[in-house]
Amino acid sequence: MDAVILVIAALVGLYMAANIGSNDLANAMGTSVGSCAITLKEAVVISIVANALGAVLAGGYVTGTISKGIIDPSLFAHNPNILMIGMFASLLAAGIWVNIATYFALPVSTSQAIVGAVVGFGVLSVGAGEVTWSKITIIVLSWVTSPAVGGFIAGGMYYFIEKKMMSAEDPLAASQRYAPFMVFVVFLVLILSFIFKGLQNLHLNIGFLQTILLAIPLSAGAGALGLWWVRRQARPECKLRPGQEAFTPLDRLFAQLQVLTACYVAFAHGANDVANAVGPLAAIFSVVETKAVALKVSVPFWMLLGGGMAVGGGLLLFGTRVIETIGKNITELTPMRGFCAQFGAATTILVCSRMGLPISTTHVLVGSVVGVGIMRGMGTLDLRVLKNIALSWIVTLPFTVVLAMLLYKLFVFFLV
Amino acid sequence: MRLSLASLFYRSPFENLQTHADKVKECAELFKRAAICHLHEEWDEFERLTDTVARLESEADAIKRNIRNHLPKGILMQVDKFELFDYIREQDKVLDEVEEALFWLSFRPAGIREEVANDLEELVEKVLPPIEKLSDLVAMATVFFRTGEEEERTRMKSLIRDIRQHEKEADIRERELKREIFETMKDKPIHVFHLVRLVEIVGNIADHAQNASDRMRAMIAR
Repeated sequence: MDAVILVIAALVGLYMAANIGSNDLANAMGTSVGSCAITLKEAVVISIVANALGAVLAGGYVTGTISKGIIDPSLFAHNPNILMIGMFASLLAAGIWVNIATYFALPVSTSQAIVGAVVGFGVLSVGAGEVTWSKITIIVLSWVTSPAVGGFIAGGMYYFIEKKMMSAEDPLAASQRYAPFMVFVVFLVLILSFIFKGLQNLHLNIGFLQTILLAIPLSAGAGALGLWWVRRQARPECKLRPGQEAFTPLDRLFAQLQVLTACYVAFAHGANDVANAVGPLAAIFSVVETKAVALKVSVPFWMLLGGGMAVGGGLLLFGTRVIETIGKNITELTPMRGFCAQFGAATTILVCSRMGLPISTTHVLVGSVVGVGIMRGMGTLDLRVLKNIALSWIVTLPFTVVLAMLLYKLFVFFLV
Repeated sequence: MRLSLASLFYRSPFENLQTHADKVKECAELFKRAAICHLHEEWDEFERLTDTVARLESEADAIKRNIRNHLPKGILMQVDKFELFDYIREQDKVLDEVEEALFWLSFRPAGIREEVANDLEELVEKVLPPIEKLSDLVAMATVFFRTGEEEERTRMKSLIRDIRQHEKEADIRERELKREIFETMKDKPIHVFHLVRLVEIVGNIADHAQNASDRMRAMIAR
């Protein structure tokens, strides 16, 4: 019986992960493919590898928030099966909603979907009074603030590039001069999140100051390596990819930097959003294994890895076709703009997942693109899409709450 | 299935602006041929060319309206919406004036007086470069707003200076021609009225081209 439950739960988790891949990750990768910085194939490879790495090395925190932040698991101590069924219903409800939303191109947050679903189940099982609403308020607030932060960072990056490089007498020389700095910053944020979160899995206790001291030389080293690679790839004799025929030398340099940020954003996505599929799954597995409710569910390594790869696989299966169209339709998305947007998005996502906030990759990315747009650096943008986002904020929660409730009732009726 | 991020990107008005500028350029060439036909009294050909210009003008008008009607509130652009509208209005006025000049020419099918025919042809030649250059200017603007490179902006600035220079020359020519008309046709008031008005309309063509380029300069100001 246990084995059947685990297999079914794993399948639903896989379904959710694939949906996340085809929605969130497709948007994140679409920015790079859209600017012709990378090919579709490269995008898929980067997604699978970097996403899995992000999940494994930096994915712990968010998972914690979802499985125990919203409802206190100890309330289910007398009947662990209820928690299991509830998490299962939540996972399925969120997966269905994300699937529907992806179909209608609604920029919905997969994180919101799972939070809504867990709330729905919580209200039915332990009552609305036991749901930690204060935690939810913080999460909801971060949905508004995180796109703003992403927009601010991306816009600032654009402003810096515009002032220091594009307006320079020789933009290419100026860019070559500042490229090391940009590579360094990308690696610094990456390595900081590695150390803060990834190494936590290895149970090393490193203080904040030591972390910083450790991160700077590491980033400098990695930055130097990254720079060598970027310069190598940006050489004029280097082979052009399809769609890059019209690239200026500057475009080529930023295209290489964008390959770096594509990995960065996929990594950040893995760190943050894989948890949406894996968190509830971890709770289910823990109940089945221990026949009790653990106060602290630690997500096993293989689950993070599998989740990360499943999200990448979802992109491969369902996301490739949509990414292809983005490249053809968005001519105004140049490597430089794509770089700024992705840099802002990935940095925000990493910081937010460090704080344990399950935020939406898509929303942060939209915020970053608009941020660059406000600095007058992003062609023509249709801000009415923001209305769709607000709409999806309003719709996602009630929809997943109700659907999770229905599924939960259904499962309880048949199984208990 | 679409990507939600893709729906964030809106069609750039510069595509349409380019089509409009290309129509203006096309009309400039037709205008020159029509004017020459008129001076050589080839009426059938003149009629045909005037009709073509009128057709192009109404097509261009539709493009102008299309740009204006499809930039609703909530569209974020690299240029101010109303600056862009100002620009396209001036670019469109170039065509209006070209059409007007051809109509005005057709009002006196008896032909233009020998004395000023050559000077008039010269004036027409002078006003053509500024209009033709608008198309290049829009093409450069498209590149500049895509890449943001200073180099492209510098090229645009020098093109705008060129247009201004051409307009200045056309202006001088216009003034000389008017003086000449008043002197040589003292006793033919109807001819004077027709020709002076014609010269003014032709001169306006270059004025509007220059106005358009000034608007563009404002759009790329840093």
